[in-house]
Amino acid sequence: MTQRIQIVIVFILIQLSIGYLVYPDLIYVLTKTAHWELVMCQGFLQLILIWIYIKGLNYFPENDVIDIYLKMGRWVAIIFLIPFVINLIALVAFNIRLHTEVIISVFLPRTPYWSILILLYFISVYTSIKGLGTILRSSVFIFLIVIPLVVFNIFSSVINFDIHNVTPGWELPARFLLKNKFFYLLGFSSFLFLGFMASKTKLSFRQLFVAWVSVTLFFLSVVYIPLFIFGQEAVVTLTNPFLEAMDSVDISWFSFNRQTMFFGLSLVGLVIVANSVMLWMIGQIMRKIFKFRKVKSSYWIIAFSVISFVLAFLVPNQSLVEKCFLWSTGAQAYSMIIIPFTIFIYGFIEKRRVKA
Amino acid sequence: MRDIVKEIESKFSNHDDLFIEEELVGKTTIYFIGFNTLVDLTKSKLYVQQMAASSSSVKALFINLSDQVGVDIEQILKAILEGKLVIVSKGDAENAIVDPIAQNLNRSIEEPKNESPIQASINAFGDDITINVGLIRKRLSTERLCHCSYQVGELDKRRLSMLYIKGRAPNILIEKANQQLKQIKSDIETIDDLNKQFGQRILSPVSHLSPTELPIQAIHSLKKNRIVLFMDNYPFALVFPNLIWDMFSTENDRNFPFVLTFMLRLFRVIGAVATVVLPALYVALVSVNPGIFRTDLALFVAKSREGIPLSAFLETILMVVIVDLILEAINRLPKSVGPSITMVGGIILGQAMVEAKLVSNLLVIVITAVVIASSAVVGIQNSLYIRLLKYPILVLASFFGILGVWTGFILTVIYLASLTSDDIPYLTFNIKQEGDTK
Repeated sequence: MTQRIQIVIVFILIQLSIGYLVYPDLIYVLTKTAHWELVMCQGFLQLILIWIYIKGLNYFPENDVIDIYLKMGRWVAIIFLIPFVINLIALVAFNIRLHTEVIISVFLPRTPYWSILILLYFISVYTSIKGLGTILRSSVFIFLIVIPLVVFNIFSSVINFDIHNVTPGWELPARFLLKNKFFYLLGFSSFLFLGFMASKTKLSFRQLFVAWVSVTLFFLSVVYIPLFIFGQEAVVTLTNPFLEAMDSVDISWFSFNRQTMFFGLSLVGLVIVANSVMLWMIGQIMRKIFKFRKVKSSYWIIAFSVISFVLAFLVPNQSLVEKCFLWSTGAQAYSMIIIPFTIFIYGFIEKRRVKA
Repeated sequence: MRDIVKEIESKFSNHDDLFIEEELVGKTTIYFIGFNTLVDLTKSKLYVQQMAASSSSVKALFINLSDQVGVDIEQILKAILEGKLVIVSKGDAENAIVDPIAQNLNRSIEEPKNESPIQASINAFGDDITINVGLIRKRLSTERLCHCSYQVGELDKRRLSMLYIKGRAPNILIEKANQQLKQIKSDIETIDDLNKQFGQRILSPVSHLSPTELPIQAIHSLKKNRIVLFMDNYPFALVFPNLIWDMFSTENDRNFPFVLTFMLRLFRVIGAVATVVLPALYVALVSVNPGIFRTDLALFVAKSREGIPLSAFLETILMVVIVDLILEAINRLPKSVGPSITMVGGIILGQAMVEAKLVSNLLVIVITAVVIASSAVVGIQNSLYIRLLKYPILVLASFFGILGVWTGFILTVIYLASLTSDDIPYLTFNIKQEGDTK
């Protein structure tokens, strides 16, 4: 019962989840003016990669990424996918830890972080064990609850805007493209999961394009809301600029004290979806590659989530978490370039061979 | 040949309600055999005598009476148990199983007892399976309505019927359900016994089957590409698979203009969400996250809990359990005692507990709202299970506050999303029309 619209929804949710926290930080470091150019550059690069990826996948109907790699050979699959799995473990760990820090600062300043870690891990692991169908269906409902909150957050912050904070809005030439950290930025566009879900339903590029447009708009708003409120000079010094921006909003007629709460709530929903998808991917890869071991994918998921939990638990402070998170997204960017291209090239060669 | 009669007599020697009556038809003696608790003997005899008057011979009489003539002893024994009248002629192997005039053991078609439709047809299903299927046939006269019947069980063969509309219900679903019903080995006593046949959901409060008492609702489900099951002696149609939308909609809502229908359903959704979330939200706001309200509101909440010795969680769980106890107790009591318990309970909950400063005013309001809200959903089984779902969220809220409420709610959604019956997810809103029309 996998439907395209569900996959598109998961795509949007994962992008939002990864993009909410560190993404604006990175943008502010990379450029001082014309932030939108940077966002658009990253967006277009992502769009091109998605197009290549889908083109490559469509050469192999009824197959997911792992099947395609296994066609190339078991060792090829191991070489390409095991580093990806390790990367995912790290990403899950730091992603959850990062969100935990924010959640603590929003809701529960006195609660020890491990208890929230356990809670988030428990829900993510439970969801991923229940399988793809559960992830997709629940993500639709989470989408319906979370997106209104996100939209409310974005629009409620308009009252604090100061238009002068973002001038000048134009910069040529785009110097940031040469910086090393731009590569990190690419790591935020997580679309690789599409290839894991697409075995039964053929993806259509058009629907993904709509999703891409909405995600890019969201990224722009995430970057520009703190900018509009604080300005570039102030924003660089903040740890969580978007969080601070939300905290600054105060609507007098509204019965709740802090807008941040809604922000925190939407974060929790998003992080659960994102991590359960990542854990599910790990389980799928391990189950398919090591088929002869006859281990259920749920055991793989539990084992790897324990490793990842230990990793998340051991990181001592937030600045280190952010660094680790950046590193793991940077590593993710490698897979994001390599996997679509290998699949595309292999598909192209296969097609030629079949024709010949 | 009195063999058969003797054998039956010895077989049923412990059954005092067995009758073996001798009767003279023409020149032959025949025996009427059956249970007088199931067969109305006097009327049946009269019927046979009338038939005999118009028949030329005993053999012709038997053929006129029944198409089961000259059957073996096994079938005769089974027929007697099922409440048929067996006629055996003396000194002859002639026998026949006759549908007698039965003792009236069923009530007639009555009004629904568990559901209360407004501005709608008020015929409800009864105990007899043929009447129930007939109620559907009468309202849905199409040749595409298919009916499969089963007799399953170990000790007692229970009759089951499966109805679906050909070309509407997905073929895979029909095949799977058919397989599952055929394989039943154990006795089917309750809905849960039947429910287990569709795949065990360990410790799950959500059933695969959604019972309804109203023919209109059952027909609507059939038209919405689902399967309807009937059990003999059970006055409900069981709609398979059970979907979440059953909790919020009945067909009778649609007797009102669309806007009103929408309003009714919206209220049910609000009711379900409120039941699950409200008590937990109270605990979270009072004990863990009081700061998220504006100051005056937060002060008001804090003031209402002034001087109360119990912690917010303890106070809430106490009230929630008491309310659930009362709801259960009202069910158990005879109708004449019920109202007094309600009154006493109401006084204790509403006045005494607040005056004794055991629970806060605000909590009483919250609890009352929850009780009312939980009853807004359709079907008592749904009301019960959402009442159960609020407990885990309550516990989470006591640890994590608002975060706990939120994660608990998401966890509930994820749990419900993980349920499937025969590969149809519980959270589907409509089942695709996938059957062959041929």
